[in-house]
Amino acid sequence: MKSLLRYINIWWLMSKNSFVSVFYSKLSLTLFLIAKTLRFLFFFVFIFFLLKGTNSLAGYNLNQTVFFFLTFNLVDITAQFLYREVYRFRPQVISGGLDLTLTKPISPLFRSLMGGADVIDLITIPPLIYAIFYVGRMLNPSLLHATYYLLLIVNGLLIATAFHIAVLGLGIITLEIDHTIMIYRDVTNLGRFPVDIYKQPLQGILTFLVPVGIMITLPAKALMGLVSPIGVFSSFLVGVAAVFLSIQFWNFALTKYTSASS
Amino acid sequence: MNKYLSIFKISFQQEFVYRLNFIMWRVRNVLQIFLIFFLWDTIFSDPGRVVFGYDRAKILTYIFGLAIMKAIVTSSRTIDVAGEISDGKLSNYLLKPVSYFKYWFTRDIASKSLNLIFAVFEVNILYFILKPPFFFQTDPFLLVLFLVSLLGGVLLYFFLLFIFDMFAMWYPEQGWGPIFFLFIFVEFLGGGLFPIDILPAAIQRGLYLTPFPYLYFIPLQIYLGKLGILESLQAVLVGGVWIVVSGFTLKKLWQAGLLVYKSEGR
Repeated sequence: MKSLLRYINIWWLMSKNSFVSVFYSKLSLTLFLIAKTLRFLFFFVFIFFLLKGTNSLAGYNLNQTVFFFLTFNLVDITAQFLYREVYRFRPQVISGGLDLTLTKPISPLFRSLMGGADVIDLITIPPLIYAIFYVGRMLNPSLLHATYYLLLIVNGLLIATAFHIAVLGLGIITLEIDHTIMIYRDVTNLGRFPVDIYKQPLQGILTFLVPVGIMITLPAKALMGLVSPIGVFSSFLVGVAAVFLSIQFWNFALTKYTSASS
Repeated sequence: MNKYLSIFKISFQQEFVYRLNFIMWRVRNVLQIFLIFFLWDTIFSDPGRVVFGYDRAKILTYIFGLAIMKAIVTSSRTIDVAGEISDGKLSNYLLKPVSYFKYWFTRDIASKSLNLIFAVFEVNILYFILKPPFFFQTDPFLLVLFLVSLLGGVLLYFFLLFIFDMFAMWYPEQGWGPIFFLFIFVEFLGGGLFPIDILPAAIQRGLYLTPFPYLYFIPLQIYLGKLGILESLQAVLVGGVWIVVSGFTLKKLWQAGLLVYKSEGR
């Protein structure tokens, strides 16, 4: 408990520093905020007119399709808010700056994963939650299904955490890749729409191998009453296993760190 | 001319320095194709369906055409210009007997050549995996107009990207923000994610007044025969006007930018 409180304090300190540096450049903050909002709105307009013309997508109506898109954004943006530091990890390894993290009396994984929360993403989360609440209510979920939704969102974030840890590990093992985190983003972008639109074997890969389906599509389906309690339970097993395996991978990757550039 | 040929060769070789990195970049492109391919494939699962004026063959040709178009039009190294201005590396070029614009355009061509080779390879593989129906344009006039609009798109994107890079002259720390904007505009307003004629006519009319549809959307519309010869000529002409306007804007921004450039970081 004492250790948890200490880490919360450290996270708050690091996040405050990160927020201050972003607020220092108000022009940058404004530009990125407008750009991210525009990207969201453009995609929303696309879905709106697409579904207006076609009436349904893989059996889902407009509200349901929008809800999948909003759920994708919630998981994606929350992960970016928490784990923005991952995007700055590779230069640390290349420059040998990771040595400084390793010698500090806190977990290097914690520092590399959560050392720079992104305030721009944080600003966009409250309106997104309101939109999810607004559109979700139109789908008339029961209390049980809403609870499943919340649980599976937490599970989605667990899987997102596992992905980010794996990217950190890869960053140590292979210096050559600086697109890894962007590949993760592209793969999760496939979850902007329900994975039902993809044909086999891609649909299977996105459900079980790279569990974008469990991360994004399943929570939204749960709210629509399309997921059983066993489905919720199995998803949690996948989430916990993913985090466990990613931590193992990180520990393995650390043994390969040579500190070559420092 | 020889020096630019040398720049082309060196740039082409540089792309191979981080081979895995480049391959990962191409993997990203393939993943992006997957999203839009399967999205439209689902909508057109009934082969006889016609939506937004597209049948299955035309929409899937649009998607695959986009993969090639992106390799030709938006594969670019000019994105690095903002960084060079920010850290003062621009000064090195100002002292050398090279045109900074020609230098970057040459590097762009090297990048486009390599990306095009890979894109053609990927499209062929995806064609055999996904087996989509294709629409082949046979009208020679439309094919010529398509090629002209495609080359226009290359030039227009070069000017636009350079214009957005120029922001770093005034705000060296904020080089990436405006480029992020440009990417969003190109992707959504240029037809990079969906053909913009699925939008209501009033919005489309507004979009045609911007340069973005002339990058991907208009060339592909010409190829698909959705525009007649006269309309295609008109579209190529408007694209040409945008090239002149953006080229002129860039020239003025460059001249003004050099007056405020402080070579910070050198």
